[in-house]
Amino acid sequence: MSTETCLQTAASLLAAWAQETTGPEPGRADVVIASGDLIAAAGALIDARWGYLTAITGLDLGPDDGRLEVLYHFACGAAIVTFRVRVPREGAAVPSLVSVIPSVSFYERELMEMFGVTVEGTPNTDKLFLPEDWPDGVYPLRKDFSMEQLNGQGGG
Amino acid sequence: MPTEKFVIPIGPQHPALKEPGHFEFNVDGEVVKAASVRLGYVHRGIEKGCETRNYVQAAYLVERICGICSHVHATAFSLGVERLADVEAPPRAQAIRQIVAELERIHSHLLWVGVAAHEAGFDTLFMYSWRDRETVMNLLEGITGNRVNYSANVLGGVKCDIGPEQAEVILEGLRFLEERTRHYLEVVSTDAVFLRRTRGIGVMTRDDAERLGVVGPTARASGVPRDVRVDAPYLLYREHPVELIVEQAGDLEARFKVRVRELFESFRVIRELLAALPDGDLTTRMPRRIKPAETVSRIEAPRGELFYFIKSNGSDTAERVKVRTPTLPNMASVVVTAVGHQLADVPMILAGIDPCFSCNDRMAVVRQGGEAEVWTWERLRQYGIEHYR
Amino acid sequence: MTLKLDQTWQAALDKLRTWARINSPWAIHFNSGSCNGCDIEILATLTPRYDVERFGIKLRGSPRHADVLICTGPVTRQARDRLVRIYEQMPEPKFVIAVGSCALSGGAFRGCYNIMGGIDQVIPVDAYVPGCPPRPEAIIDGVVKLLAKLQGHDTSPGPVVIGEPDANPALAPQPEQEEASA
Ligand code: SF4
Repeated sequence: MSTETCLQTAASLLAAWAQETTGPEPGRADVVIASGDLIAAAGALIDARWGYLTAITGLDLGPDDGRLEVLYHFACGAAIVTFRVRVPREGAAVPSLVSVIPSVSFYERELMEMFGVTVEGTPNTDKLFLPEDWPDGVYPLRKDFSMEQLNGQGGG
Repeated sequence: MPTEKFVIPIGPQHPALKEPGHFEFNVDGEVVKAASVRLGYVHRGIEKGCETRNYVQAAYLVERICGICSHVHATAFSLGVERLADVEAPPRAQAIRQIVAELERIHSHLLWVGVAAHEAGFDTLFMYSWRDRETVMNLLEGITGNRVNYSANVLGGVKCDIGPEQAEVILEGLRFLEERTRHYLEVVSTDAVFLRRTRGIGVMTRDDAERLGVVGPTARASGVPRDVRVDAPYLLYREHPVELIVEQAGDLEARFKVRVRELFESFRVIRELLAALPDGDLTTRMPRRIKPAETVSRIEAPRGELFYFIKSNGSDTAERVKVRTPTLPNMASVVVTAVGHQLADVPMILAGIDPCFSCNDRMAVVRQGGEAEVWTWERLRQYGIEHYR
Repeated sequence: MTLKLDQTWQAALDKLRTWARINSPWAIHFNSGSCNGCDIEILATLTPRYDVERFGIKLRGSPRHADVLICTGPVTRQARDRLVRIYEQMPEPKFVIAVGSCALSGGAFRGCYNIMGGIDQVIPVDAYVPGCPPRPEAIIDGVVKLLAKLQGHDTSPGPVVIGEPDANPALAPQPEQEEASA
């Protein structure tokens, strides 16, 4: 399959849930998806054997914007389809994809501890990277993270 | 014959960015029933670090994510940033990047053959492959001036050239290595003692491999044709392609074979590139500030697909850099493949994915009910060797 | 330790112990957050080209057998306790070699949130080997110089620093109080 047809196939598979589709670069498509539709949309790609989930990126849009974005990157050959799921910074939550992609648990654990996004239904919520004595409620990859937060709370 | 259940934690150290692993294996007698992982002993917070350093500084930082495949990190990052800035490195620079990348693959695979052989108790092969690896290290040092963190990349190009004399030296080195590699291929596919530790062990079917999203040689050993160099060519891999090496068996033997056979492809591509090294500059001008945009940069590292997501915001510092190293998805597969195997096979299964380890050296045996006995990695390895005696 | 020995015997015993230790120091390697670069160079010192075993140096898996702790990498928050634990498990007398710029100061990772700094922020260090990563020769040099110090050939105060010009004492770090922790 050429990259173009790959992207077209993905677009038609995702048509039911895509709120907005953009093509930021050649070979890429960004699809905005509501967090409620995430499992269904990912399932559609996986069932059609369209590529694999290569990474989950968390993106903090900053306290002013008040939102976080969770990006799910699927790759098929040279084509990359990215689901953009937007959630509020306060009480951020996305559903877990373990039911469709069992190996996703690592990525979800990372997302939870780095961004404080609750992943609902993920089997293992232990810390993956951060130390045990890391203070609760401090998420290093959020924009408003600071070292003071860490040292002030006995993390160091 | 139900026996006591043990929980066996292994770990914790492991080198690269996020790869340090602390495993817990639930065993019933000799057989592994369940496994889980805890990473982060070497988590240094590099992704955050990239948000506070400008692009030039960040390039040095990401190069130090992993000392074995430092060049691929720097290349993936440079390619991404260059794409954001609408700059393309000159062809000669791209060729040199590719040569260094392939040399790095050779060094990494030889290193792995050695370490994996060591896990199997086959120290002779370990010593031989590391001796030969010094040849590659010399070549890399000759080109870049450093043995490990080469810093061959700068944003917009490379900082070191390969002259005709240098090319001769490289070709000479490759001749020696090719001969040795043939010998290794013979060893890993015919040595009876070795095959007892590898054949039929740690099998991952093609279906499993696809479902688990494993990458790199681990995937290709299970018959999944997945290689970024082929799927989404970068640098000069379009003009000078590599052939996809796949094995169908999915066991440890196949993983050995895939990696060793890949070396021949690397030798061939390096020769091809040296013969057709484009003329021209080594660098182009890079803007200091980069307009807001996002990009994805994927590269085939020695261990599999390396994924970078870079977001710029108009300043000279990245807004967000996300790194997904190949070991992470592969690690997930260990947790699954180890189940149902003998505990004695665990070191080899772990070694099979090439988890960027070199000092996975302590583990503890915890008897269910509380008292703990400390096991070193060394002891587990010995245990495996004894088991197969 | 419970044996009561008169001074001559004690001295002789000490001598014997020093002799044995210097002729065959056993080392353990601990990575507290390194990028692996330093670690593979340490491993390379064991392999045929460099072969540290000719100095009697052997890498062991367990801290309880080791005389020398070779540390690489900056100390991450999570590895700190392990590092201290390993250090405490080693029998006295023990020596620590910090290998790589990271182990010296945090190196390229200085200022990252999960980094405590260099090894000497956590445990006392007896020899510093700078470089990113240091060449295997430099690592061997570090070990050998440390041995020379133990033998009493080198009587300069303070830790061993590889690559520091001896001619310029101003560059040498201030001698630190040796913490002889029990
Ligand atoms: S000093 Fe350099 S090579 Fe060594 S661990 Fe640090 S970054 Fe890696």
